[in-house]
Amino acid sequence: MTTLFIRTISLRFRLTLALLLAFLLIVLDHQLNVMQSTRVVLNSIVSPVQYLATVPEQTFDRLSENLQSRRSMRAYIAELETDMLDMKAQMQRYQLLLRENERLRNLLASESLQDSLRMVAEVIAVDSNSFSHQVVINKGTAHGAFIGQPVLDDQGVVGQVVSVGLTSARILLISDQNHAIPTRSERNGIRVVVQGTGNMEQLELMHVPHTSDLVEGDLLLSSGLGGVFPEGYPVAQITSIVRDESLPFAEVYASPVAQLDRLRMLLLLWRADDERQPVFTPLRDALNAQPSDAVEDTND
Amino acid sequence: MIDTASSFTQRGVIFLTLVIALTLALIPMSVGLAPWRPDWPLMIMLYWVLALPHRVSIGITFLFGVAVDILLGSTFGIHAGVYALVAYFIARHYQRIRNFSLVHQALLIGFLIGLERSLVFLLEYYLNDAQLAPTYFWPVLSSAVMWPWLFLILRKIRRRFAMK
Repeated sequence: MTTLFIRTISLRFRLTLALLLAFLLIVLDHQLNVMQSTRVVLNSIVSPVQYLATVPEQTFDRLSENLQSRRSMRAYIAELETDMLDMKAQMQRYQLLLRENERLRNLLASESLQDSLRMVAEVIAVDSNSFSHQVVINKGTAHGAFIGQPVLDDQGVVGQVVSVGLTSARILLISDQNHAIPTRSERNGIRVVVQGTGNMEQLELMHVPHTSDLVEGDLLLSSGLGGVFPEGYPVAQITSIVRDESLPFAEVYASPVAQLDRLRMLLLLWRADDERQPVFTPLRDALNAQPSDAVEDTND
Repeated sequence: MIDTASSFTQRGVIFLTLVIALTLALIPMSVGLAPWRPDWPLMIMLYWVLALPHRVSIGITFLFGVAVDILLGSTFGIHAGVYALVAYFIARHYQRIRNFSLVHQALLIGFLIGLERSLVFLLEYYLNDAQLAPTYFWPVLSSAVMWPWLFLILRKIRRRFAMK
């Protein structure tokens, strides 16, 4: 086994080969975008490692859940019940408004708003990659997730799916410097594109004229113009505006509404009229090969 | 060689340590500690290149780098290429590096991890307009500090399975 002088292929040749291959991969993946289908397969292969990495944290979580006192559990349940009551009351009002809105839209002869289907997903990995803001969730193609799918949390827009595996998907957050989302100001409907800066607490508004009527504190909602995000979900709130006349555009910064640094439970969205639909029971579907009725239950 | 583990088992051991390295790279850490997370994948990979340069070399390091690329969601080839480059350095000079003291080795590993991080940053900057955070280079220090312990543990494992 010990080979002192035998060397089949020279190291330098192997290095050259590896570097050429790496260069080729970078070009294929970054410039030509032909690796998407490969990524699905590779993501599925490595996803056990991702699940493995969450095991210790989940064990601790379960332990601390089991060790909670009866009293704190009760308090927690009571709190949830109050919340629930509150939500139900709001829901009644929402139904009323929904019907009224539909009637008014009919009067104006405009299309009524599309409903969407949702699925709860759990974050299984926050990336230690310092240059890209991404998280990995525990839903994949088996659940109907697709590339370009919008993702929300309980506060607002979080990002979109950029790559999928069988049981995992990678989400690009709106704070990534490669992400931009079309929005509309809630107060007066001014359209602006909100771009990530690579800083989780800060988003940048692109190409805002000095004369535009935006003020600090304005809420920006997704406008639905890009075709990726549905209309009307909160995205960001304007934090600072600098109108320096020597620059072509005003410098406007906003902070994301979603709590991007403490994501845990997320919502995946599907459009109701889309051919891509969520799969709530992938295992049972695979076994029975029959359409499930779970889709109807969560239809809202 | 008193207990000769089969070549199959030995390969399994290397594979297992590499999977553990990837898991350690992904495991959630508290916000305060996370920036200090040592660069486990590269450190464990470099140990095997240093200890068994005729069995684990640039090819395997390259494939391992691709796995890191997938898990971190970076562009394919970035970590693969940089890892291969660093492995080349170790494979080229393994006889000399083996004779270094542990402290000396740790300094060298720190330097190599600094090099790896700089190259990855440059590529990311060129491809994706990445922004440099000051915390990005902290793992250089923590990796150097962890190297002697990692080295001793892995050497124990290697001797236990009589891997040469």
